Amino acid sequence: MREKLATLLLVVAALTALCLPSAAQAAPKRIVALTPFAANTLARLGVTPIGIGQTLGGNERFSPKLKGVEVLPLSHPNGPNLEQLASLDPDLVLSTRTWAKGNQAMRSLGIRVVVQEPVSIAGAYADTYKIGMLVGRKTKARALLKSMRARVDAAEQGITKHPKVMLILGVGRTPFVMLPSSWGGDVVEHAGGELLTGGVRSGSGFERISDEVVVAEDPDIIIAVPHAEADDIPSLAEYLRSNPAWSSTTAARTGQVYISVDNSLLQAGTDIARTIRKVRSRYLKN
Amino acid sequence: MATDHKLLSAEGIEVELGGKQILRGAALELERGELVAIVGPNGAGKSTLVRAVAGIQALSAGRVCWSGRSLSGIRGRELSRLRAFVPQRMPVPAGIDVREAVTIGRSSHLRMLGRLTGADREAVDDSIARAGVGRFAERELTTLSGGELQRVQIAIGLAQEAPVLIADEPTSQLDLGATIGVAGLLRKLVTEHGLAVLLVVHDLALAMAIADRVVVVADGQTVASGEPEAVLTPERLAAVWGADARLTEHDGRTALHVAWLDTAIAVRAP
Amino acid sequence: MTRRTLVLAGLITALVLATLASLALGAVKVPVSEVIDILLGKGHGGPNQQIIESLRLPRTVEALIVGAALGIAGAILQGALANPLASPDVIGVTAGSGFGAILIIILFPGSIALLPVGALSFGLLAATLVFVFAWSGRNKGSVGKVVLAGIGMLSLFTAATTGLLAAYPDRAPSAIFFIAGGLTSSGWEEMQTIWPYFAVGFIVALALIRPLDRLALGDDVAASLGSRPQLIRLGAGIAAALLAAASAAIAGLLGFLGLVVPHVVRMAGGSSSHTYVVPASAIGGAALLAAGDTLARTLRAPIEMPVGPFMVVLGVPLFLWLLRKAV
Repeated sequence: MREKLATLLLVVAALTALCLPSAAQAAPKRIVALTPFAANTLARLGVTPIGIGQTLGGNERFSPKLKGVEVLPLSHPNGPNLEQLASLDPDLVLSTRTWAKGNQAMRSLGIRVVVQEPVSIAGAYADTYKIGMLVGRKTKARALLKSMRARVDAAEQGITKHPKVMLILGVGRTPFVMLPSSWGGDVVEHAGGELLTGGVRSGSGFERISDEVVVAEDPDIIIAVPHAEADDIPSLAEYLRSNPAWSSTTAARTGQVYISVDNSLLQAGTDIARTIRKVRSRYLKN
Repeated sequence: MATDHKLLSAEGIEVELGGKQILRGAALELERGELVAIVGPNGAGKSTLVRAVAGIQALSAGRVCWSGRSLSGIRGRELSRLRAFVPQRMPVPAGIDVREAVTIGRSSHLRMLGRLTGADREAVDDSIARAGVGRFAERELTTLSGGELQRVQIAIGLAQEAPVLIADEPTSQLDLGATIGVAGLLRKLVTEHGLAVLLVVHDLALAMAIADRVVVVADGQTVASGEPEAVLTPERLAAVWGADARLTEHDGRTALHVAWLDTAIAVRAP
Repeated sequence: MTRRTLVLAGLITALVLATLASLALGAVKVPVSEVIDILLGKGHGGPNQQIIESLRLPRTVEALIVGAALGIAGAILQGALANPLASPDVIGVTAGSGFGAILIIILFPGSIALLPVGALSFGLLAATLVFVFAWSGRNKGSVGKVVLAGIGMLSLFTAATTGLLAAYPDRAPSAIFFIAGGLTSSGWEEMQTIWPYFAVGFIVALALIRPLDRLALGDDVAASLGSRPQLIRLGAGIAAALLAAASAAIAGLLGFLGLVVPHVVRMAGGSSSHTYVVPASAIGGAALLAAGDTLARTLRAPIEMPVGPFMVVLGVPLFLWLLRKAV
């Protein structure tokens, strides 16, 4: 009996020993993350990428764990410089749809590219888990998710009011309304805001509107996100802050036109709870 | 026998341009070794006629035969070896010198990407010599005078090595000296080099001096053909040009005497 | 004769140098000896080899082909239309290609692989419309009609493109790169789809060299020599359209090349004969684009700038200097 048990244990150990290396081989070691979300998620999973992407003039915030990792500047249309990327010899690149042309080129070089673009908090959870699976840190990912969910739930506690909010992306001087299907829209709704859309539908999460629609919807609060070259952001922010076209809205009359200058409402971040808290305390005041 | 056929035989030529009937049944013939002058008032259709027989202008009716072969059955490259057409004024491109231009005239003898053979180069030199443009063969076309350019145009035509040269009003815009030069050249080509020349001219005295035969075109039809003295009679000049005039030849010079201010003869309706 | 030969020799030298530079320089330093080894098939594998073979080599080849194509397109158009201002822009191809590409970038960003197809089809469509309009009615195929129809098509497609960009300003940045004109390191894929159009364009252009010389002496002399002037113009238009649309499909809008390179080679060589101008424009265009592209991706490495402005920087001073000497 003991012998059989020993043999069984040996077989199990041998099988495990065989599986473990292949499992380790399956998990990519050399990873390049082209978004702050992917980069910071990797950091939180305890994986250090060999390269992280940063847009020109971008102000993305990276985890301190990523200090010293090579930075690849990203520009249209390819994203990263392909020679630079190729010289890093990556196994896996985490990219977005923005760099569609570059993704195609990377694939033709034989690099594995996974495209992720979470546009909701639920989507961020799903993509966090997916990254965990890709890099072989499923358990860690589950734990991370548990703590993320708990913190987000905590951040959503005690919402006192649900003001009517319009979240506007200012592309130059053209207003785009951000819908619930966008990242920023989802965050604002989780923070307790009632998102006004001007009756617009869109597949991409935001849609162009005119200032008249903003006036017609008459939101209590306007959160404007300027979208321009880094040098132009201050002047655009100023313009949006005191936009005469919105002056008749409740938001403008009660001094509740806010400008969000960082990317937290534009792209998914990993510290979602913090973003929700910020929106509540700074903008929604609930 | 090939020699039975005239070099050019055209009849019943009708041409319509832009809704107007320009030629209504004109005829033309050409034999080896003759210089035929086509004369007539403006708008009579002289240029149109020579362009039609040259195959450059489409016919609405009529038959044109080159050495017995119907024009419609002759392809472009072959046609270029049968006749060379020298327009009144060609555009003067920059950056091309005389020798290059004459070489382009030779291009119908070259295969698509073929190089110039020794024979081709000789033909080019020959054309340049015959047209008398050797003095300025390396000069750019844009630097030439009217008379020099006209000679170059003839040289380009000669490079085709065709037995017939058709020139459309080569002298109309030249001064007296240049006209004499071109006239002499054309006559020499016929007399010394055995070409046949079809020449459209306005100057009746010139036509009389150098042509073996004169064809009068009026109102889209050929109204007369024959030796200059026989065709260009005062009666003809009155009927076709509405002019009280007479052509004379004396001592190797021809002259047109015109009663410029006499309005006794009714002016022909256009 | 000798001046032309000198210029051609100079152009070929420039071409060889530009090609070597394009292969040897880039965001990543690869020693020249290694570049040569890899080209000769003696590479040791690894990222450098991949960089040279899969990124730089296709890009260099693209630059050479597109540069030659645009140079030739400009040369034959200028000859066929007897107009020194003729270029692929004039027959509406560039504007049409621009519209087709922007259409894909903005409305179908997921299908970015279709970009060359969009650029090619709309470029050819624009050229076809120009020819149809120019060949209708009276004065079939006259130069004036072609130019006017081309300008009309240019305006139409430029307006449509601007409208698209205005309607979707958030997607504009990707479109800007295309409009400014630039090559991207995308491997051999694009060339594999587009090369037949280049091939046909090159062949037709080659066949038109002598006919265009005949056309230079006027429609009548060309007819006397057995050519059909309108057919030559049509053929030149088709070849130019194919070359320009295929070029736009790969490299965006690079109109400058087609306009200026033929003039530069004409002034330098002192000859307008197409047997010299067409090949010289091909070599000159290839050298210019390869050099410009190398500059565009090394000056601010690893950022890649659009190559259009660089060619202007390289080409305009040369053009103006020659202009002073020539006039």
